[in-house]
Amino acid sequence: MPSPFLTPGETALADNVALLHLRRDDSMPTVLRAFDDKNEGYKEGKVSNTRFGSFPHSTLIGQKWGSQIAASKVDTGSRGRKPTKRKAEELDVSTGADEDSVSTKTPVTASSGFLHLMYPTPESWTLSLPHRTQVVYTPDYSYILHRLRARPGSTVIEAGAGSGSFTHASVRAVFNGYPGEEPATKKQRLGKVCSYEFHEQRAGRVREEITEHGLDGLVEVTHRDVYEDGFLLGDPQTGRSPKASAIFLDLPAPWLALKHLVRHPASGAESPLDPNATAYICTFSPCLEQAEKTIRMMRKLSWLNISMVEVQHNRIEVKRERIGLDCDGIRGATVFPKTVDEAANKLREDDARAKRFRLGRTEDKEASAKEKEASSVQEPAGPLYSVVFAILPREWTEEDEQRCRQKYPSDKADNNDRLPTGKSRKQMKREFKELRLKEAADEKAKAQQPTEETSEA
Amino acid sequence: MHSFIPPNQFVAIKLPSDQTRIVKLVPDSLVQLGKYGSFPANQIIGRPFYFTFEIQDTAEKDGYKLRVVSATELHAETLIEEAEADGEGEDQPEGSAGIPMRTNRQIVDDASTQTLTLQEIEELKKEAGGAGKEIIAKILESHTALDQKTAFSLAKYTLRKRQKYLKRFTVVPLDVSTLANFMLAEKDATRTMEMRDEHIGLLGCFGNVHYSGESQNEESATDSLPAVKPNGRYYVVDETGGLVVAAMAERMGILYPRDEEEDGNDGEEETTDPNEQNLTEEDNNAEAQGATSTSKRKRPQAMSASGNTITVVHASSQPNLSLLKYFGYDINSPDENHPLHTHLKTVTWLQMLDPAVDPILANRPADIPPAELAALKGSKRSAYHFKRNRWERIKKVVEEARAGRFDGLVVATLLEPASVLKNLVPLLSGSASVSVYSPTVESLVVLMDKYSTTRRTAFINKKRDLEAQTTAEHDDIDLSSLYEEFELDPTLLLPPTLHRSRVRAWQVLPGRTHPLMTGRGGAEGYLFHGVRVIPTTANVQAAGTFRKKRKLEQQTSAPTPTTDQDVEMASLSA
Repeated sequence: MPSPFLTPGETALADNVALLHLRRDDSMPTVLRAFDDKNEGYKEGKVSNTRFGSFPHSTLIGQKWGSQIAASKVDTGSRGRKPTKRKAEELDVSTGADEDSVSTKTPVTASSGFLHLMYPTPESWTLSLPHRTQVVYTPDYSYILHRLRARPGSTVIEAGAGSGSFTHASVRAVFNGYPGEEPATKKQRLGKVCSYEFHEQRAGRVREEITEHGLDGLVEVTHRDVYEDGFLLGDPQTGRSPKASAIFLDLPAPWLALKHLVRHPASGAESPLDPNATAYICTFSPCLEQAEKTIRMMRKLSWLNISMVEVQHNRIEVKRERIGLDCDGIRGATVFPKTVDEAANKLREDDARAKRFRLGRTEDKEASAKEKEASSVQEPAGPLYSVVFAILPREWTEEDEQRCRQKYPSDKADNNDRLPTGKSRKQMKREFKELRLKEAADEKAKAQQPTEETSEA
Repeated sequence: MHSFIPPNQFVAIKLPSDQTRIVKLVPDSLVQLGKYGSFPANQIIGRPFYFTFEIQDTAEKDGYKLRVVSATELHAETLIEEAEADGEGEDQPEGSAGIPMRTNRQIVDDASTQTLTLQEIEELKKEAGGAGKEIIAKILESHTALDQKTAFSLAKYTLRKRQKYLKRFTVVPLDVSTLANFMLAEKDATRTMEMRDEHIGLLGCFGNVHYSGESQNEESATDSLPAVKPNGRYYVVDETGGLVVAAMAERMGILYPRDEEEDGNDGEEETTDPNEQNLTEEDNNAEAQGATSTSKRKRPQAMSASGNTITVVHASSQPNLSLLKYFGYDINSPDENHPLHTHLKTVTWLQMLDPAVDPILANRPADIPPAELAALKGSKRSAYHFKRNRWERIKKVVEEARAGRFDGLVVATLLEPASVLKNLVPLLSGSASVSVYSPTVESLVVLMDKYSTTRRTAFINKKRDLEAQTTAEHDDIDLSSLYEEFELDPTLLLPPTLHRSRVRAWQVLPGRTHPLMTGRGGAEGYLFHGVRVIPTTANVQAAGTFRKKRKLEQQTSAPTPTTDQDVEMASLSA
């Protein structure tokens, strides 16, 4: 089944994972079911209850993604309770069906409450997933995946699956077809994420989520302590190599895992890296000390282009601020003069009013105010992480070099006739200058000749 | 992809001075690196990327003059330093009792400390071998106050000398990240709207841009079933010269020409429309009658892919996508085997808004019956086919773009973003993502305000008032006054968010870890993100509203509509 994360289609289907968007930063993931899978006893089949009402899944399935859906009247109180005589009678009167009937009730639209039905994206999933560990947020993973060159067809190793936010982002980045769908005419490798988690329960949860989200075959979750047992799939010693080109380590001590991520592991096992490709690595640590230790180990293991960065991100809130003397009674507005002129006018009026008051008369005041431009408020940023990147070029043996030398012989360049390309710009400039000097000298000589002639004549 | 240095493609060469050069590696040519020397391209073609080569003064017997500098050698200094730092663990630190801390107090700030003169250095450059290492050693030796330098300034000094004299270079694949940094640091940064790596990453992620299947619904389309919506079609508005298009194409797997190693048979692209195939074949026949037997392979028609496509909407008559040339795709003379040839579509704003007056679309080439056509001269016939094909191609692309149901909108434009969103957001399918990049915050603040909750509430209220007024008199509702007040429909996008992201690099060395002072000035860069939603036509009330209803004078008028605005307010106060 195609995953709604990758190919959502146009409408929400049964068994799709969907996000019920309630309001900003508040959405609820759920798997749409045509039946009451957890047997919660609602008459309408499976129901999602939110703070804005109840939503039987029968009102969601078959709707277009992005639709606004009204809440339904759902009896949330009486289920599970034994039907009292009065209730049972009522039910008989209203629906004419008894409690045990299999047929589900058609939901009735409630007077208020709605949500928006969205297909999940790694971004929305990151904001709504059940937290098991600290989550890698969008500003971090978007930058990391870009730097790791995780592209359609790449294989990514992720250690410390955690809550699975990076897992979902990386599978979207490497996706280039569902396994088993394309015939073997394409020799292209299919993108894949190999995820490792040493906490058994968490590994199990991630695995369940992957299945629920239709990502089976694209993500392979392994319960493993990667410090000790490395990154081979299946058996830690004899298993298959994932042949990864991008590695993301969100571990407390990434330097302990680095010994497995080399071209020829000391243990004699197969390397988990793709032998034909550059390997890109990124480690993600909250402390500077962790980053320092990791970098030292990377230097020892011949990683190149090592760099450490921090990603500073914040979200900016924009709201209108209304300031003005005419804002009296408007919610959220500040009654205060908007400009100096307004302030001066007010003072003048106050003075005049005081005078009139002394004279025993009153009059209405008049002031003008306009809406002030939108102002921005910055939200505080989250915790900062030290993100370390490095690159391990592919291995290059003497035989490879000889093969290349035969294919692209170097002395060819020296023999060919395209001399201009063989010269440096400086050289060419110098030659050009010399040429011009020569020409100039010739001309001079020529010019001199006639003068000489004339003088002779 | 990018496993070895390919011939006839662009690569980036990093020099010791931190400069980058973009070079097309033509076999049997020489690559010039200015003062660092030159080398034959053949000596690096086919080798792995990220190797650091040193240009040696004396070539090997078969002409090779490059030496691969190993990682251990590159890291040598730091490794030694780190080892020393480990050993010194028990020693008393500098600055404590007895051992004086070295400072720059005694250092005289003039050139007299360097005993080598300029002439001597110039001579050294001519004589000394070792690819510049000997010069650096000599210069360091001749510095009289070297022992006075602190570890920090010594490191800086050697680094500076190394940048100047070492004849080394590193070959890096030219991908979107390399190109973006090259444009930022060495070209005119405003040409790419000062877009940095973190923006490109965020723009793609918030736009939910990814590969989504190679026209999977071909079968269903031919089965005369109602065509399923193709996957992965994105609108892109790009005024960065093609950098955004390249970044999105990279995410969708259609940026790089297929590697020769990876697949031998490149007849993978298939044109979907049978009519088009016929046309192509006719075209082929008309153009080259002799070669028909050999060219059995279908020529991919430009802009013919049905899914996983980028549709660029541009302001001029031709899109500016010049940066795509670095990825082997020249928009003016496209390579037919490049994936962008079929997957990149271009539409002008005029074609989007008013195709009837577009100069190309409005002039439909007249139909010429086949008999008449056969009688025409060869050149006239091919001109007719060319015009006909172009017209049909553009018509198809424009119709597709105007029909909408696209999966995302990515914008980096000099246009007012609100005007772009006004026209393109209604064309997106539900739940599709919108992401807008702007180097400055102002235009995005306006956008945020236009989609804000308060504006949305005001819009809904006014719309309902209008509906209540007009339904009594007419059947159709006149909403023109509504759209006069609201430039764009704020109910179509949820929840508008504005982001700022900046990456700061650090130097990590034993005892010398600090943020690098390389941050360039310039624009900060901001991103707007929202998701297209489909509001119901029914009157929906938000739950949890406690606001008192306005007293109604007439029983017939509609009750005060309340929306999610109140929900947020209510929950905030709760």
